[in-house]
Amino acid sequence: MTEPWMIAGAWLAAGLTIFLFSFLYRDNPFFKIAEHLYLGAGMGWWFQVYMFNIWKPKVWEPLMAHQWGVIIPAVLGLSLVTQFIPKISWLSRYGFTFLMGYGAGLAVPAGLSTDFMNQIAGTIRPFSALASMTPFAIFNSLLIALGVVCVLFYFFFSVEHKGSVKKVSNVGIYFLMVYFGAAFGNTVMARFSLLYGRFDDLASFSSRGSFYATQIILAVMVLYFLVTGFTKKPQQGEEEAH
Amino acid sequence: MIKKSSLCLILCLASAGALHAAGKSAKAAQAAVPAINGFSASDMPYDAGGAALLRWPVNAADTETTVYTVYASSSDGAGWVRIDEFPSSANTGKGIDLPFWAWDGSAAEHAYKAELGNFFPGAAEGTVLRFKVASSDKGRVTAESLPAEAAVSGNWFRLDRLNNLLLLVLVMVVFFWAVSHAKRKGLFIRRIAGLDAIDEAIGRATEMGKPIYYVPGIGSMSSISTIASAFILGEVSKKVAQYDSFIKIPHYDPIVMTVAKEVVKQSYMEAGRPDSYREDLNFFVSQDQFSYAASVDGMIAREKPAACFFMGYFMAESLLLAEVGATSGAIQIAGTDVEHQLPFFFTACDYTLIGEELYAAGAYLSKEPMLMSALKVQDFGKLVVMVSVLLGIVLLALGTKLHWDSFTQVILNLFKAY
Repeated sequence: MTEPWMIAGAWLAAGLTIFLFSFLYRDNPFFKIAEHLYLGAGMGWWFQVYMFNIWKPKVWEPLMAHQWGVIIPAVLGLSLVTQFIPKISWLSRYGFTFLMGYGAGLAVPAGLSTDFMNQIAGTIRPFSALASMTPFAIFNSLLIALGVVCVLFYFFFSVEHKGSVKKVSNVGIYFLMVYFGAAFGNTVMARFSLLYGRFDDLASFSSRGSFYATQIILAVMVLYFLVTGFTKKPQQGEEEAH
Repeated sequence: MIKKSSLCLILCLASAGALHAAGKSAKAAQAAVPAINGFSASDMPYDAGGAALLRWPVNAADTETTVYTVYASSSDGAGWVRIDEFPSSANTGKGIDLPFWAWDGSAAEHAYKAELGNFFPGAAEGTVLRFKVASSDKGRVTAESLPAEAAVSGNWFRLDRLNNLLLLVLVMVVFFWAVSHAKRKGLFIRRIAGLDAIDEAIGRATEMGKPIYYVPGIGSMSSISTIASAFILGEVSKKVAQYDSFIKIPHYDPIVMTVAKEVVKQSYMEAGRPDSYREDLNFFVSQDQFSYAASVDGMIAREKPAACFFMGYFMAESLLLAEVGATSGAIQIAGTDVEHQLPFFFTACDYTLIGEELYAAGAYLSKEPMLMSALKVQDFGKLVVMVSVLLGIVLLALGTKLHWDSFTQVILNLFKAY
């Protein structure tokens, strides 16, 4: 005998999954319910995450331990909230200035190191073991180096892309397309595994133990679309858009 | 009774004698182990703390089976902790991962970087620790050093990153030169197709009387793509204000929203239309990735905007957003530097700005000398990478072919990242 709360959970999970998938057909009230519930749940979740993972351990507990140094970042953080009070909203600039300065200070050296140094070192390093490289490995390393140079040519904005520059940058585009194709396939495979996960859940919720949650909700949804499809006139905006 | 007491006394004396003899022989055995001379311990140079550098000369008598064991102890008299064990051929002075300008190691000495974080957790900065090293062969201790002390602390200046600092200084010099040049003579930027379509998209929205959605992505304000997006938003909203069209900017990050508010407000003022500006053009949706995507999808599906801009940092929500925009019939222009999301924008959008094109967009649209100069510096960086790659390959191949090991090491160190 399945627990009642397990059955309720199965109906909720199957319902929300089907409600969200129903958007693939068209916008409907069931999708709106799921959308707003998702939005609210997401906000609630992050609120407690910030509360218990940031505010409590990084502000409240140090203050209780008389570590007064945390007051400075806490005040800078609070200054951002003054945006909502027009009279003192200028205070928020201090917080934003600190954020921007901190962000730039962190990003510039890290960017130089990863985008410049790592890129150059990673491309040329294989050639330091040239003596022990197979012809295929040498070809591979040269191909990568050629790809780096050609792709960089494509992103070179200071010269007009014509003549030989255009040819080199076109080769760069081919390299980019090969990468994008690989990335696309890789990500789509990952998305399909997520989809299988949802289908697997829907299949398990279609059992007798879950009181046929998937089938019943699906049937209600189809019925709703059939009824509204026959009774509702298409709106002017919808016609124009399609 | 007397007999019993005498027997106890004799037994006690005998056992005490035996213990004394055993202690003596142990001390004698310890004294027989030769010392490892020249062992020293110091703070590991140019690190963030938590590591010590131990050095001692290579022993010519070491065999393939000789193993070195490193021990550490806190100076309060606590016992020795075994830190590491390695064969005698490992961890010579050449093995320390520091560039040639920060370290002059020799193969004639052992140099070992002892990472102590896991062994002495919570040790304060500047804590003095004791170290010793012992060599053994097939389980028998063959030599042991005298303990050496070192205070372990982090370093403010990382000499090993000097090449990064010099590159940064060079980039800054080029930037200031470019700013001055841009102000005096102007700078050239090649045509970027996706950006030329912005006027077309805004014009279409104005003609149709429908809103424009500008989605700045899920990046924080410290993300470079979000900063680039803010520049593009400035130019887009200026054109929207000029055409008296209507823009909506749903936000994931409240800080980005606040910055975007200022940007849009400024653009409306520059366009001479401060009266058209409304506070609710920028609005917060959610800081949860997929609920943000679901909500923005719902808005796009219901309002059917004439144009959608997706500019900034995007992850898995990229296709969710762009696909809905495409089915609603909007003209879509996207741009991100997240390479693995670009294919999804290619499939669902009319124009896509790839990586660097997003950074260039702000300069391209505004023609601001400062932004143009930043773009020139980026181009300079690319030139440096291209030339370095080509030269580096030639020099490394030459160095390897002619067995100039030090030369190849110098080349590799020059481009050492951290």
